Amino acid sequence: MSEVFKDYVKNKFSKPGPLKGLRVLELVTLLFGPSGPSFLAEMGAEVIKIELPPAGDVTRSLKPFDWFYKEQGPMFMHINPNKYYMALDLHIDMGQDIFKELVAKADIVEFNLRPAVTNRWNIGYEDLKKVNPGIIYIEKNGFGQWGQYAEEDRPSNDGAAQALSGYAWMSSFPGQPPLKQGIWICDYFGGLMGETAVLAALHHRKKTGKGQYIEMSQSENIMRAMQWVWPYQQMTGKGAEPAGNRDQCICPADTFLCSDNQFSAIAAPAPDEFKGLCKAMGKPELTDDPRFKDHKTRLKEENALAILKIIADWARTKTADEVEELGIKNGFAASRVHTGKDMFEYPNRRERDFVKEIDDPLYGKYPEHCFPVMMSKTPPKIKWTVRPVGFDNEYILTKILGRSQTQINELYTHGVIGKWKDMQGRRPPSDWDGKHGAILRR
Amino acid sequence: MVDYTRAKWADWADHVKSLDDPAKNFEKPEALDDLVVIDVSSRSMAGCYCSSLLAELGAETIRIEPPGGDLVRTYSPDGIMNKDTGLAYLQEGRNKYHVTLDLEKEEGREIFKSLVGQADIVIETYPAGQMDEWGIGYEELSKLNPRLIFTSITAHGQFGSDSKRKQFDYDNVAQARSSIQYQTGEFLTEEKTYDDMPWAVPTKAGPWIAWCVGGAFAATGILAAVHYRELTGEGQAIDVASAEAYERLNDYALHWYGDQGHVTERFGSLDTALWLYGFFPTKDGGVFLGGLRLEMWKAFVDIIGKYDEWGAEEWDTLAPFMKEDWQFKYQAMINPETSKYTSQELSQKAIDYAKSGRFAPITTVVAEIVPPWQTMHDKNWIERGMFTPVQDPVYGSVVCAQAQWKATETPPRTKWVCRPVGYDNGYVYLNYLGYGPVKLGELEEKGII
Repeated sequence: MSEVFKDYVKNKFSKPGPLKGLRVLELVTLLFGPSGPSFLAEMGAEVIKIELPPAGDVTRSLKPFDWFYKEQGPMFMHINPNKYYMALDLHIDMGQDIFKELVAKADIVEFNLRPAVTNRWNIGYEDLKKVNPGIIYIEKNGFGQWGQYAEEDRPSNDGAAQALSGYAWMSSFPGQPPLKQGIWICDYFGGLMGETAVLAALHHRKKTGKGQYIEMSQSENIMRAMQWVWPYQQMTGKGAEPAGNRDQCICPADTFLCSDNQFSAIAAPAPDEFKGLCKAMGKPELTDDPRFKDHKTRLKEENALAILKIIADWARTKTADEVEELGIKNGFAASRVHTGKDMFEYPNRRERDFVKEIDDPLYGKYPEHCFPVMMSKTPPKIKWTVRPVGFDNEYILTKILGRSQTQINELYTHGVIGKWKDMQGRRPPSDWDGKHGAILRR
Repeated sequence: MVDYTRAKWADWADHVKSLDDPAKNFEKPEALDDLVVIDVSSRSMAGCYCSSLLAELGAETIRIEPPGGDLVRTYSPDGIMNKDTGLAYLQEGRNKYHVTLDLEKEEGREIFKSLVGQADIVIETYPAGQMDEWGIGYEELSKLNPRLIFTSITAHGQFGSDSKRKQFDYDNVAQARSSIQYQTGEFLTEEKTYDDMPWAVPTKAGPWIAWCVGGAFAATGILAAVHYRELTGEGQAIDVASAEAYERLNDYALHWYGDQGHVTERFGSLDTALWLYGFFPTKDGGVFLGGLRLEMWKAFVDIIGKYDEWGAEEWDTLAPFMKEDWQFKYQAMINPETSKYTSQELSQKAIDYAKSGRFAPITTVVAEIVPPWQTMHDKNWIERGMFTPVQDPVYGSVVCAQAQWKATETPPRTKWVCRPVGYDNGYVYLNYLGYGPVKLGELEEKGII
């Protein structure tokens, strides 16, 4: 183990996050919007989630099959940790003014609305630039701000981006209908890339003082991850087609059914890895077979299918764990296909503190993923989960804008700010004592 | 070429376009043009993609390969090569200077140290411990350059039991280990085996998404570390495991298991937590249908003319539709209806419904599931500059997926797609180390470059 990460987990909370001191406002919904700011919050930024009172983000209502966790939508919990929760009505001009006051004291503001909606609320880029010329403003949606699809006001979802980009097409088995991913990849990957964009803009601002406007389309974003597909289509004049679990650019690389009815993924393209795999299979002579002599030759479709058949027949005589062990021993990459049970129980995840139980004042202890970037001087951290709608109104208004309780009460009276509706996912969990988790007043 | 009715807010669209049209990218400054990146990644597109992101943002990026080139240059469908470079690397060599250096030789490592002394960021992807063994791990390099941000992207990370494994990081293995592959794919129908339905198995995404997500998380971490370095002057080491990075994008499956002991299984092209949300067949292919609010789902039932027959008027909550058995029931009812139309017809019906339907402007998301050939020729994306070919001085005109976002001040951009092996040895070694042709000749003779 590298010395620098010795006792990383033990000392995690004795060091700051890398983005300590940055302030981010988000007015976002579902997953594409809030995922990115969560990543900033895990790296130590102060992220204020603004929702419309009293119902807030629709994601609070969504649940897999029939499972809510303490009345809360589990996907909402996973995607919104470490944030402060404010409910502000942006249809009202007083709400818009408060938003602008916050923007004046923020670094980054994030939206995922349809084009031009923020202009109607007087919080468009040109409005916000006036109160804070250094503001970094990002708008994420389906089709960006201009072009035919944007102007048709087409709504979008993760699934639509998978469909329109060709990503789903490329992620299925030949002859079978295109397959949707089991996760919301275009939402999450888009959210993540949005933060790369934002942090690069922050670097530019430090040099020049200038903020900027960033727009991201979730379909366009995922196209970049399809890499070889585009020059392939240009050079061959043919459409790229899917190949199931086989990696079309790396050979051998595929998923195999094993004797215990589990699956194992194997990759062994480099000479040392291929040799190790052949040895593990008890067929060292395969490295001398002219069809498999080097990587480029193996990649020829007929050769690739031939070697994969040999491996598939062998894999069915071993358990997935045996294949994985043989990979370690013989120097090729192999892993059993992990499941939700492995996420929870597999020790390596706990040793790295990648999976841990968070200890939340409202929602108790439950397992969660930590940020997957370990940083030796500035470890990112997950601290708390979501809050009811408008839970931190008082804290934010007092701490950042210096409002007195009388002024805050007046804002409630006028409906400018609000608290949760008495409804699942919006109100606190039923066992909440009215105090835990509240910052300013209990 | 505009053949659609322009939006009421078209002036805003025109305004933004005037500020961020990629056609004007080269008139603008670059966000990271003060940073020097050294990418010594091996066999891994996660590392190459990470450095591409920084290079697209203007960082001077030096890609170090072993003499003869890195294995990634051979990654290509059917082994197709363009001037000895695979099609995959024609995307991820972008904007980088390419030099060769043999790190297995002592003299090569000394040269590496001299470059690192002048760099801000190092990216490497060897199995944990390899760089330390060579004496060029973070411990040694940070002594030379305390401001260095040293980034490792690997299969198993830098610490924890699995980090002892000396295996390289591959995308398909990372996808398997992330748990996401397990919960993606068609389910086996009852009484069937995997031999009957060899496609009804845990299915990975076709693209190298675990590598891309690993590279993207690393790039985000690097930029955060750059921010921290500006406050304190301190560099640091960064550890990303591709499988973990991708796993972080799995949503509640971990929590579901922890709370209920529930293992998330494959659910085809439906969604365990959402309704209306899935892929459905059409006369000529298939569409994605999305309607996450009750009105959007009702609007869809209205679009296909089943509003009264199915009793949609009575529905007052979306909640029961997310149940597993309801999803199957309604999927079976929807399939024959969507199959009456072409994908285009159904998309158009949803657009029209937004203007004149019962719930207008609320409508359903309908998106055609297209092959990437159609994506590449869709004039919407072409107009937005997604597939503008790069005019590369060596490789000619090459279509790339262009930058992942548009920005008014410092948009990312692609200048060249790749360079042949060692193409920039002359320029880089002269510029950084003062090595002219004589010295380079000697190093070449010794097999160091």
